[in-house]
Amino acid sequence: MLRKDFCVAVALLGAAVAVPPAVAARGRDYISIVGSSTVYPFATTVAEQFGKTTRFKTPKIESTGSGGGMKLFCAGVGIETPDITNASRRIKQSEYANCRKNGVDRITEVRIGYDGIVLANSKEAPRMRLSRKDIFLALAAEVPVSGKSGRLVPNPYRTWKDVDPALPDTRIEVLGPPPTSGTRDAFVELAMQGGCSTFDWIKALKTTDKSRFKAICHTIREDGAYIEAGENDNLIVQKLEANPRAVGIFGFSFLDQNGDRIQGSLVDGEEPSFDNIASGRYPVSRPLYFYVKDAHVGVIPGMREYIAEFTSDRAWGEDGYLADKGLIPMPAGERRKYAADAAALKPLVLE
Amino acid sequence: MDAAQAVLKISDMPFPAVDEQQGTVEGAGPAPRADNRDTVGEPFVEDPRMTCRDVNVYYGEKHAIRDVSIDIAHNEVLAMIGPSGCGKSTFLRCLNRMNDTVDTCRVSGRILLDGLDIYGRLVDVVPLRARVGMVFQKPNPFPKSIYDNIAYGPRIHGLAESRSELDGIVENSLKKAGLWQEVHDRLDQPGTGLSGGQQQRLCIARAIAVQPEVILMDEPCSALDPIATATVEDLIAELREQYTIVIVTHNMQQAARVSRRTAYFHLGALIEVGPTDRIFTNPRHRLTEDYITGRFG
Amino acid sequence: MQMNDKAQTTMDVVHRGLARRYRRERLFRRLGLTAVLVSIGFLALLFASIVANGWTAFQQTEILLDIDFAADHFDVDNLARANYSALVKQGLRQLFPDVRGRKDRRRLYRLVSSGAAFLLQKMVMQDTSLIGTRQRVWLPADDEVDMLIKGHISRVGPESQRRLSDRQIAWIDHLTALGRLKKRFNTTFFTAGDSREPELAGIRGAMTGSLLTMLVTLLLSFPMGVAAAVYLEEFAPRTWWTDLIEVNINNLAAVPSIVFGLLGLAFFLDVLGLPRSAPLVGGMVLSLMTLPTIIIASRASLKSVPPSIREAALGIGASRMQVIVHHVLPLAMPGMMTGTIIGMAQALGETAPLLMIGMVAFIVDVPSTLTDPATVLPVQIYLWADAPERAFVERTAAAIMVLLAFLICMNGLAVFLRRRFERRW
Repeated sequence: MLRKDFCVAVALLGAAVAVPPAVAARGRDYISIVGSSTVYPFATTVAEQFGKTTRFKTPKIESTGSGGGMKLFCAGVGIETPDITNASRRIKQSEYANCRKNGVDRITEVRIGYDGIVLANSKEAPRMRLSRKDIFLALAAEVPVSGKSGRLVPNPYRTWKDVDPALPDTRIEVLGPPPTSGTRDAFVELAMQGGCSTFDWIKALKTTDKSRFKAICHTIREDGAYIEAGENDNLIVQKLEANPRAVGIFGFSFLDQNGDRIQGSLVDGEEPSFDNIASGRYPVSRPLYFYVKDAHVGVIPGMREYIAEFTSDRAWGEDGYLADKGLIPMPAGERRKYAADAAALKPLVLE
Repeated sequence: MDAAQAVLKISDMPFPAVDEQQGTVEGAGPAPRADNRDTVGEPFVEDPRMTCRDVNVYYGEKHAIRDVSIDIAHNEVLAMIGPSGCGKSTFLRCLNRMNDTVDTCRVSGRILLDGLDIYGRLVDVVPLRARVGMVFQKPNPFPKSIYDNIAYGPRIHGLAESRSELDGIVENSLKKAGLWQEVHDRLDQPGTGLSGGQQQRLCIARAIAVQPEVILMDEPCSALDPIATATVEDLIAELREQYTIVIVTHNMQQAARVSRRTAYFHLGALIEVGPTDRIFTNPRHRLTEDYITGRFG
Repeated sequence: MQMNDKAQTTMDVVHRGLARRYRRERLFRRLGLTAVLVSIGFLALLFASIVANGWTAFQQTEILLDIDFAADHFDVDNLARANYSALVKQGLRQLFPDVRGRKDRRRLYRLVSSGAAFLLQKMVMQDTSLIGTRQRVWLPADDEVDMLIKGHISRVGPESQRRLSDRQIAWIDHLTALGRLKKRFNTTFFTAGDSREPELAGIRGAMTGSLLTMLVTLLLSFPMGVAAAVYLEEFAPRTWWTDLIEVNINNLAAVPSIVFGLLGLAFFLDVLGLPRSAPLVGGMVLSLMTLPTIIIASRASLKSVPPSIREAALGIGASRMQVIVHHVLPLAMPGMMTGTIIGMAQALGETAPLLMIGMVAFIVDVPSTLTDPATVLPVQIYLWADAPERAFVERTAAAIMVLLAFLICMNGLAVFLRRRFERRW
């Protein structure tokens, strides 16, 4: 009896191994999307709508991070590679070159809207009013000594009051994403770099010694004031509720969903609100993109229709369903331009 | 079985001549000194079933059996006695090559079964063990039904053509083992559910079922109570009509009761062999005498 | 006299030491009991917090609407094209005829899930006789409404910071008073695949994915693991070469699971060209991970088969293979199955290796074959835990409860198999 079992198992094993090549050779009837975890909630919403309202299958969306997505996307042309990659930043020159090297030479870039990065704390504490300079001074590993050009000291500030007498006398305790996160990249680039550029001598370095400039502006302190809270933004929100003294850093959609528990800090006098981010007044915001592999359009069913769904006003418009999910829409003019480019599959050219 | 017999014919070798020097040992007058490790008594018989010559066994570096030569006659019960660790069990296990399963074990010398060297290159251990069956110290029935315990051997060797033939073998074996009366109405129940004595008789029946020529018994009663022991001893007495039996025992009374000849082992050497009543009444070797009079052991 | 004295002192010494010996024994027993209680306490805490968070997910707020499936809405040849959301909106307007103005109406429509229209579509497609009738239909409420009813978001505080406005709350209260808004058993959670709308999201896709993946893992790792264990334990000679293999197997059991994911990516996807995100590849990767566990458990249970059984079989002339197949394997099987199930349970909870082969993905359709894109339960938990919508918090906990139930079932099966097939000798 046991021998029979073994035979059955071996037969099944053989069958299991024999099946895949046949399947792999067959076409793919769903769109494969990879990329940024920031764009993931929006792309999945569109994908679901697309799957329900068209005759096509619901696309498969992997959350790989912007960089990981680009790597997979640029690996080549063919059904085993993804058709679309989402990104919370623009494609880099090096990634573009890699794409071209692997035969992915026609890419269409679609900008879908904006995402704000907010600093927020519990409603039990007073609302913070920060400037980007405050953010930089509170979180950088090394800060300039006031008045002296070119001198840096390890960050001496312990409380917010140390940074700016107008701020509350509480310990600096910031929960934020780890270096692997796109939110962290954007935060460093927009908030920290914006803050350190207020020092003239550092700003001057940007043209003379770019690597030093980056080292000063992009390095976050590691003495315990900045706490890496993992990729899970929900967790940060929960921790903020439990600890009213802490400040958290995450995407706008989490503030939007939890407005009754936490409040967004003002940055440079601007509140992180839907309108402020949309109008560009709130300084810490970034555009979001997706990139289409043109060679797959017409090969994988539904590509055009998916792009059309994403770029329709009912999706990314001011009252569209993506706005409900926390995406900050682009102005109508930009939307029209990108929708037209996307429909025409206008190839991206990076100079 | 067929294969083994074919092998037997191919390697039909001449009967080895009895060693001259060992022949002189027999009938020596004065009792040998205690440090004399040569075998005294009558180790050899005419027309033996099994012949062992200069058998040495090593476990790795340890020399467990030293130069043992002995014959085993047809339809006799040979008892092997001796203090713990004297090598009697080791020697017994050489007789059906059970020592093969121990990686570090090495056997030299010759052991012949009906003239065939069982350690010969062409000999297959599987049919050999069907011809030389074994019963172990602790009753070890398979965790299967009583029927399947007995039928297992005939099944794997293909001894029964049909189910009814197999039923016959099972019944016959159980009858020979004196167990039929006790278990004939519950053959489908697990063999492990029987009492210790019954289990041991079941193991004997299992060994008989493949119609062996020799049955090796390794202290078959040491795990049994006196009543069960008596039943098994009666069984051995009956079996010797048809089988050659080699039994290792700690119990000298048992050796005296069941065996015709007795071999005394000491520290890996065969000290003395002779008719059982002579060994127990008139041992020739000092070591044998010390052992049976209880001075050590 | 002298003897008596001596006995007295011996007993004194014994008695003096006795108290200390018993004290030590008591201390050790108490330590053990404390350890057990502490671990039970933590387990209870974990379960309590998950159940407390998650039990509400098994209910879903629904709204009863009168839907008029008027025939002029439908084109019989193309039922999919009908405007089903208009039907939902019409149903809502009937209940609140005095709500006017575009903005207010939009707010009103938001009370019902955006998935309601698809639900009506499905109803009509399944039963065309509905066309031309009026039906009372329970439709899922939006997740915000659901959260309010369940008390997860507050109705106080400034309106601007709330997800629901004062008017919306008033409508909800009105519907509740009419008996048209109720919490009902959430069947969607068990019948649907993933969704971005919490009220439409279910775990069936992830559960099916887990089952398919586990099936592949079982079919690959069990026969291979048992065969490897039998070979190593029964046939392989003891040489430095087999020692090396043994050391490596023990090492493999401790390798972080992500490494197997990387191997899967490099070999199964890039070299063999198998599809991404497929349960087939997931199962293959996980079987790499469980193989060492199964081999180690199987070898241990082979070792525990008493030598007397082997001897008995050898003694009547069974060949080595017969000894193994007829006697050793059946006796070792319960232990092997237990090891396999424990390995499988471990694999069931893995996400890291699946990340590398694309199974951490948003997949709506329930997979039906081994090569369909699929995700698994722990991945679904991971994805939901990261979703911004508040309603996903309880669904995450509910999914954890389902995963725990799965694990308890598997471990229960292991215990059952052990009891059922264990043989005494």
